[in-house]
Amino acid sequence: MQTRPETQRKEMSQGALALIFSAPAVLIIAATILAPFLMAVFLSLHNWNLKRPGRERFIGLENYTDWLTDSDFWEPLRTTFTFAILAVIVIVFIALLVSLLLNERFPGRGVLRALLLVPWAIPSVVNALLWKWLLNPQYGLLNAIWYDLGIITEYQNVLGSMPSVMIWLVIAYSWIHIPLATLLLLSGLQTIPSDIYESAIVDGAGIFQRFAYITLPMLRPMLSIVIIFEMIFALKVFDIIFVLTAGGPADATNVLGWSIYTETFRKLDFGAGSSIAMLLGAITLGMAILFYVFLDKGVER
Amino acid sequence: MKGKMVTLIVLLCIAVIAGGALAQDDGLKLTGWPYQVDVVTENLGRFTDQSGHDAVFLPFPSNEYRDKMVASFVAGTEFDVAYVRDSYLAEWAAAGWIVPISGMEGADELLADLPAGIIEQMSYEGEVYGLPYYSGVQTLAYNAAHLSAAGIDAPPETWDEMLAQAQMIKDAGVVEYPILMSLRSGENYLLREWETLTAARGGRLFDEDFNPVFQEEGSAAWEALDWLTEGLEMGVIDPASITDDDPGLLMAAGTSTFATTTDYALKAMNDPEQSNAAGDIKNALIPGTDEVRSGTWGYVRLYAITGNAPDKEAAWQLVQFLGGKDATGEYYVPKRWALEFGLGFSPAPLYEDEEVRNSLSGWIDPDLLSEQSEYAISRPYRFVPFFSDWEIGSWGPLQAAILGDADKGEVLNELAEEWNELKDDWGY
Amino acid sequence: MRKHSRLRLAIIYFFAAVLLLGTVGPFLWLVSSSFQYERQLLNRPPQWLPNPIVLDSYREIFEGAVLGEESGVPYQSRIFLGSFGNSFAIAGSVAAIAVVVGSLAAYPLARLNFRGRSVLLFGILASRLIPALSLAIPIVLVAKQIGMSDRLITLVFINLSFVLPYVIWLLQSYFKTIPLELEDAGRIDGCSRLQVVIRIILPLARPGLTSAAILAFLVAWGEFLFALLLSETPASYTSTVVVSLFATDVDVNFVSIITAGVISVIPPICFALIFQRFIISGLLSGSLKG
Repeated sequence: MQTRPETQRKEMSQGALALIFSAPAVLIIAATILAPFLMAVFLSLHNWNLKRPGRERFIGLENYTDWLTDSDFWEPLRTTFTFAILAVIVIVFIALLVSLLLNERFPGRGVLRALLLVPWAIPSVVNALLWKWLLNPQYGLLNAIWYDLGIITEYQNVLGSMPSVMIWLVIAYSWIHIPLATLLLLSGLQTIPSDIYESAIVDGAGIFQRFAYITLPMLRPMLSIVIIFEMIFALKVFDIIFVLTAGGPADATNVLGWSIYTETFRKLDFGAGSSIAMLLGAITLGMAILFYVFLDKGVER
Repeated sequence: MKGKMVTLIVLLCIAVIAGGALAQDDGLKLTGWPYQVDVVTENLGRFTDQSGHDAVFLPFPSNEYRDKMVASFVAGTEFDVAYVRDSYLAEWAAAGWIVPISGMEGADELLADLPAGIIEQMSYEGEVYGLPYYSGVQTLAYNAAHLSAAGIDAPPETWDEMLAQAQMIKDAGVVEYPILMSLRSGENYLLREWETLTAARGGRLFDEDFNPVFQEEGSAAWEALDWLTEGLEMGVIDPASITDDDPGLLMAAGTSTFATTTDYALKAMNDPEQSNAAGDIKNALIPGTDEVRSGTWGYVRLYAITGNAPDKEAAWQLVQFLGGKDATGEYYVPKRWALEFGLGFSPAPLYEDEEVRNSLSGWIDPDLLSEQSEYAISRPYRFVPFFSDWEIGSWGPLQAAILGDADKGEVLNELAEEWNELKDDWGY
Repeated sequence: MRKHSRLRLAIIYFFAAVLLLGTVGPFLWLVSSSFQYERQLLNRPPQWLPNPIVLDSYREIFEGAVLGEESGVPYQSRIFLGSFGNSFAIAGSVAAIAVVVGSLAAYPLARLNFRGRSVLLFGILASRLIPALSLAIPIVLVAKQIGMSDRLITLVFINLSFVLPYVIWLLQSYFKTIPLELEDAGRIDGCSRLQVVIRIILPLARPGLTSAAILAFLVAWGEFLFALLLSETPASYTSTVVVSLFATDVDVNFVSIITAGVISVIPPICFALIFQRFIISGLLSGSLKG
């Protein structure tokens, strides 16, 4: 590569450049998160129950070993994974379809794109109310619709038993999260130059071939990011559980996010709460790396 | 053009944020859930006039109030007086976040006006932590129109009778599931319902020394669970009981006939703007058995002085004004809540106040309510710091037992064991 | 492709209708409910359309915002619209800063070869792995200790730290799709790295930047937990906090909550609409230049 000598002189090493460019972002994140994160690590290594002031003590990894040998960790972990896997599949699948639709050119597309964000823009407390009203077994809207359509002959309490409670939690959760995934996938689709499609059409490629040989490979980096993000969100799920089931019925929807809440805010046992959070964080990081390596392989330059 | 607009917006944002640094005011800070904020503020104005202390009310969302306050206490925010629910009084007291009022000047005189049950529910390890904001008991709400539609004259006096009446109402096609119970996971639901059902069978969950008795075969607590299972199997207890978070709404919808509820909830059920069953909802004694007429428990919301309050004396003045008497020697604030808003009160002198009694009768039968409160049991076991540790773990297994997914005996024994472990651990 | 056959449009509009029903349908029920009496929300079968149309909750919110205490409407309704100022300031600042700072950080991750690239990439993401709930109390504690609680700027920082990892990941992936040749051409013309980013990468990455801005705005607009935990006075409440104030322990004003929710949706959707105009114009200018 021929570059002019004076630019070369001024040019810093790539590492130094990277440092300078990423410094503002890293500083903002570090300034906000670092101290609280270290505090959470510190708490996780202690017996620290706020209801017993003066009895805090360092116990090493005992909180961790306690959890790892306790079914109160493994059961919620399994529920968390069940929920997360279902949610990620539903979200990514639907978001992919929606983004393909919105990537087409048609009058009204811009408005449709903005309206798509509505579920995400509703304040969470109102979302909770909405789902309460949709799913209620007496005055519920979905029950009324199903009943009118003849799908059911008697109103159902879908949150009252497995597996329907899990299915409806996933649906409610996905409804709120699909807009974000769609937004990201759509911006990925927009990077695919339209002339590739046009030449493929000239070559006689059908719609499914175009999807399989052009869209999917070129969307792969963004798709993998969406999957990783949604995995991270779903493994931390708490809000929707808090408002719709509170972990019930019979612990069927007791996820780790709920355990972290009850340990920290209800039992006021900061040691126990922080240590589950750390475990969940480590598991999530492992999943993120795994997905990144697996999904992004071959896409790297 | 676009660039300018964006710059303008950014500058505006920066201006608002920079201006967002807030003025410090030196008055007393009262935190609470946002019920009738303007009335609270008005009351505080009266307090300022009488005492010379400035005071401001800081309302926080009701559902997250407890979490918000926990964070504030840990951070050391200087709130002076806080609303407290009796359900977490023991924890806050154990953590040192609220301080006792016993021994403060004038406390004995105000406490002397309060029933022993109320004082007990504001106490932790022998110290009283505040004065009541509002209080009351759990009672039975029923839809009188449903009963007459099924040809029933009077609400049930026993639990078995309730099942029989519910069956009649169901058979008459009035509603599908006449009985609504609060069996959801959460501090406001399952355990309380179980306590009601147990108390109304003459039983308790724990004995005087905090030993569990619910696991004993044939105990009232055990029978209560059996009754729930039976009702669910009969199809007269609403299966939604296991998930519903707002029994009042189903009563207001007119789709439930019987529910146990806090007394003040009847007001909304009988409000024509909020309820489709307005005027039909009556209160009755919670049913009992052939031997026991009824049983219930009381709740208290109180004002307490926080551990972070810089000036405890001033904070105590405010607590006295809010929960006790004002400078004129009148129970001004409690009376106002009772008179204008129907909130239950505790000071004995108010019971005899004719004005107060009349104001309640629009939406609840005050005589039946005061009779109900005579059946209130005391629940000292709730005022130990480890109660919610145990309670949180009990929801899942209890629901499984009620739904018939788990063996009752095993579940109850395990829960008893868990309690005993906690009890040993805490040295009770 | 260019020829819009009728069949193609028909298929597209069919799916668009399904999509609208799924996303906007439930919202329309919220809108309908906001014009009803509370008891009508409990009707069985449901009251789909308001009858009569009840404007009370809207009247209270707007009258309360204009007239203040004189209006005689409940406190919550009075302060609701005022809290939009806080929410907008926070969300606007977060979106603006996140896009600028995020683009800068994303560029080296997308384009430069340096040791520790993966570490940086995952290090940034790792800050989002611990559930916010377990960082909540430490954050509140630290903010209080350094005198930063009850300030909007703190919420801007906290929201930034939440959205920046996502923005950076999104943008670095987006930047990778921009052909290297364009950048090399700029470098040969003597642009510094920063000039390359500003003059070449950013204009071409407008759709990505727009998505990032919308993401940042929406996350910050809807943030509730920290907005609640860090506020000590009503002056610093965001709209999400005020919406939650309609539940009072003794009663819940469902219609007002729903109305507040409906109004809350308007600003972010407008924001998205305005920003999408940037995308479209970005595409046009991109195609002209490219």
